[in-house]
Amino acid sequence: MDKQKITFQFISANGESQEVEGLTGETVMQVAYDNGIEGVAAECGGSMSCGTCHVFLDEASFARIDAPSESEMDMLDIVSSDRHATSRLSCQIKLGSDFAGAQVHIPESQY
Amino acid sequence: MHDAGERFRPFEHEGMYALFAEIRQTVPVFYAPEIDYWVVTRREDVIAVLRDHERFSAAVATQAVVPWPPEMLQYMVDQGFTNESVQVACDPPRHTRIRSHVQGFLNPKKLQSFEAEVRALVQGYIAAMKGQESIDLVDALTYELPARTAFLLLGVKDIDPRRIKKWTELRVKLMHGHPTREEQMAAADDLLDFWRFSCDLVEQRKVNPGDDYPSWLLASRAGDDSRLTENEIKSLTFALLLAAHETTSNASANVLLELMRRPDDWNALVNDPSLIPNAVEEGLRYVSSVVAWRRVAKEDFELGGEHFPKGTKLLLSLASASRDESTYENGDIFDIRRKNARSHVAFGNGIHFCMGAPIARMQIRMMIEELTSAFPDMALITDEAIEIAGVLTFRGPTRLPVRLIP
Repeated sequence: MDKQKITFQFISANGESQEVEGLTGETVMQVAYDNGIEGVAAECGGSMSCGTCHVFLDEASFARIDAPSESEMDMLDIVSSDRHATSRLSCQIKLGSDFAGAQVHIPESQY
Repeated sequence: MHDAGERFRPFEHEGMYALFAEIRQTVPVFYAPEIDYWVVTRREDVIAVLRDHERFSAAVATQAVVPWPPEMLQYMVDQGFTNESVQVACDPPRHTRIRSHVQGFLNPKKLQSFEAEVRALVQGYIAAMKGQESIDLVDALTYELPARTAFLLLGVKDIDPRRIKKWTELRVKLMHGHPTREEQMAAADDLLDFWRFSCDLVEQRKVNPGDDYPSWLLASRAGDDSRLTENEIKSLTFALLLAAHETTSNASANVLLELMRRPDDWNALVNDPSLIPNAVEEGLRYVSSVVAWRRVAKEDFELGGEHFPKGTKLLLSLASASRDESTYENGDIFDIRRKNARSHVAFGNGIHFCMGAPIARMQIRMMIEELTSAFPDMALITDEAIEIAGVLTFRGPTRLPVRLIP
């Protein structure tokens, strides 16, 4: 199956937004790496060991995509910045057509 | 032209930071003939390689720098030494499969659950130091404590931690040091004993499972070799018996040494313990216990403006990367209040990021918390030389003599 381009936005802690593009199947963390997005430390490269790729989604996108797994929920318990109702680990969100137009807010700190 | 390759002494720590400080701006990568590795000096490049597991293999990460003699290899095989690369020195998809099992136990939440037990361990060691005028902090605290924490994870109770430490030092020397042939041959039987100890531990857990790492892995395997084999579990246990304490012993002694060298910083922590977590990070940045880590290229690549062929071996200088001025202003200055201290690469980066980082940080923090509280006037005995044990990858003082009371 051909990969599709998915466009969404990163919004920094001070409100600056940047539109980015990734391919279906890539993770939000990977797109952050590739675009040099500040504030997504993602120390462990997506192995769910560090809790430093924490982001908040807009409510509609959070509700639209697959729910976080139990182990992701456990990791979200220990993230540095306050956990929100729409908190996710960006390494666990795989891009699909349902993610197009999403707003990905970056917390103030990952540590 | 530069002479970094001639001047770099991979097994000697004296002068290593000064050399990197001098060359980092102009020499992003250089060849070290003594070990046949290319040394990467900048943080950006180090992180790029660590994150790029598709192009850079971890297969050489723990390979013996001085290859084992064929007779030793044969002897080890004949004696049942079936240790295999399971985590730190293997690539996806194998790494992904094995990590998915390990993750269930070595995750930050589970590791945090050991907090009270680790605190009690630290307090036990501090209590034993009370009443003495002076002490070697390595001998009295940092050498043994992390091994005892490892025993908590493994459910091991009745073993002398020094026995594990001796085995570990031997294994580190065989992997990352430069032993003579005689030293290698003499080490074989001790290494076998260490391996058999790990195997016995797993065998015991098969009969009497507990709430510990090998028991978790056995349950996660569920008797299915396609998930995880028994030999992989034995190898993982063997790996944890080294990785869970060796670097933490060195890291805690490194941080304490830097604090002892700076009485003003020590006093600041005594007066305001909330500074301790960042002081731990700055210690990990300023003197990482893992000074370098290895990768080998799976394809041709470019780095630092040069072209390299497939098969090139890279020594990533974590020591140099964590002082890189492009990220750390005055990187060669130790500053317990440094804002971005935590972005160091002491625990690596990418899919091989240290799974024990949360419990390593916890132990170093607690050691400083308990020491500042019990011995606020603790001071370095400056007339005794501090030795750094020399292997390619690890760094830590062999002694740390201090006066506990003024």
